[in-house]
Amino acid sequence: MKIESKLFGWGTFFFVPVAIVYGFMTNWTEWVGTLAILLLAGLSAMIGFYLAFTARRVGMRPEDRLDAEIHEGAGEQGHFSPWSWWPLVLGLACATGFAGMAIGFWVVYIAGGMAIVALVGWVYEYSRGDHAH
Amino acid sequence: MGSEHFYRHNVYVTTATHAPSTPAHPTLNRPNMVSVGTVVWLSSELMFFAGLFAMYFTLRSTSADMWSVEAAKLNVPFALVNTIVLVSSSFSCQMGVFAAERLQPRRTGGRFGFSRWGMTEWFTLTFILGAIFVAGQSIEYTTLVSEHVSLSSDAYGSAFYLTTGFHGLHVIGGLIAFLFIIGRAFVAKRFGHFEATSAIVVSYYWHFVDVVWIGLFLVIYVLK
Repeated sequence: MKIESKLFGWGTFFFVPVAIVYGFMTNWTEWVGTLAILLLAGLSAMIGFYLAFTARRVGMRPEDRLDAEIHEGAGEQGHFSPWSWWPLVLGLACATGFAGMAIGFWVVYIAGGMAIVALVGWVYEYSRGDHAH
Repeated sequence: MGSEHFYRHNVYVTTATHAPSTPAHPTLNRPNMVSVGTVVWLSSELMFFAGLFAMYFTLRSTSADMWSVEAAKLNVPFALVNTIVLVSSSFSCQMGVFAAERLQPRRTGGRFGFSRWGMTEWFTLTFILGAIFVAGQSIEYTTLVSEHVSLSSDAYGSAFYLTTGFHGLHVIGGLIAFLFIIGRAFVAKRFGHFEATSAIVVSYYWHFVDVVWIGLFLVIYVLK
C-alpha cells in the first residue's frame, strides 16, 4: 500500500510550493486560486496520511509482493449488497424535492418524508427481516 | 422456510452471497473499502469547503471596510465556548469508536461508569454535544439577525451565513448519522464488524466536520 500513499502524499510537497508561488505571482490579491491550491495540498495529505496509516496496519497485501499467488487475494472483500431498491427510492425523493423547488415548495416537504423512509430503509436493510442478526 | 418466504425471489441469492452477521471483517491483510472510500469522499468535501473559504477571502479582500464594521458584531467568547463543545464531542466520538472496535455496543457498568461505557453511550453523548453546538449556533444567528447581519443584508452576511451555515448543515447530517448508527447497535442482536465499520466511518466524518469548524473559527472569529 506504500505506493498508493506516496502517490497522494507527495502531492503535498508539490501543491504547497505551487500555492506560495501562485500567491506571490498574484500579489496575494487573488484568493480563489491560492486557497484552492493550498487545500489541494490538504486533500493530498489527507488521503496520503490515511493510506500510509492503513499500510502500516495491514502490512503487505498480495498485490504489493512480487512472489504472491493469485489465490492469496481470495476471501472476503467486504460487504456488498447484491441488489437494493432503496437507492431508487432515495433518488425519487431527491427528484421530487428538486421538482418541488421549481413547482411549489410544499412538494419539498413530501420529498423530505420520502427521503426519511428511503434512508431508514437503506441503512437498516441488512439489519432486519431476512438479514436480522 | 415458510411459504411466505418462498415467493420472495431474492432469499436464496442474498443468503448465499453474504451474511453480515458472520465476522465479515475483510481479512486483516487488506484495507477496509468502506473506510478508504469515506476518506476519499471526505477529501472532496474538503474541496467543497475550499470553495466557501475562497468566497469568504475574496469578498473580504474586496470590501475590507465592511468587514471591520460587521465582524465587530461577532460574539467571540460565545463562539469559543461553542467550539470547545464541538471539539470535545470529537473526543467522546473517538471513545465510542474504541468501544465499537472492541465490539461493545452497551455499557457493562453503571450509568456513569465512563470506563465501561459502550458505543451507544459515547455516541449519545456525542449527539448531545453536537446538538448543543447547533443550538448555540441558532442563538448566535438570531442575535446577529437582530443586529442586522442577515443572509441578504450585505456581502459579509452572505459570506458568514454561507460558510457557517453549510458547516451547520454538515453537523446536522452527522447528528442524523449518529442516530442511525445508534439504532443499528440496538437492532443488532450480535454487534459485529458490520455495525463497527459504519460507526468508524461516521466518526471519520465527524472528526472532519470538527476540523473544518476549527478552520472556520480561526478564519471568521480570530482572523476576522
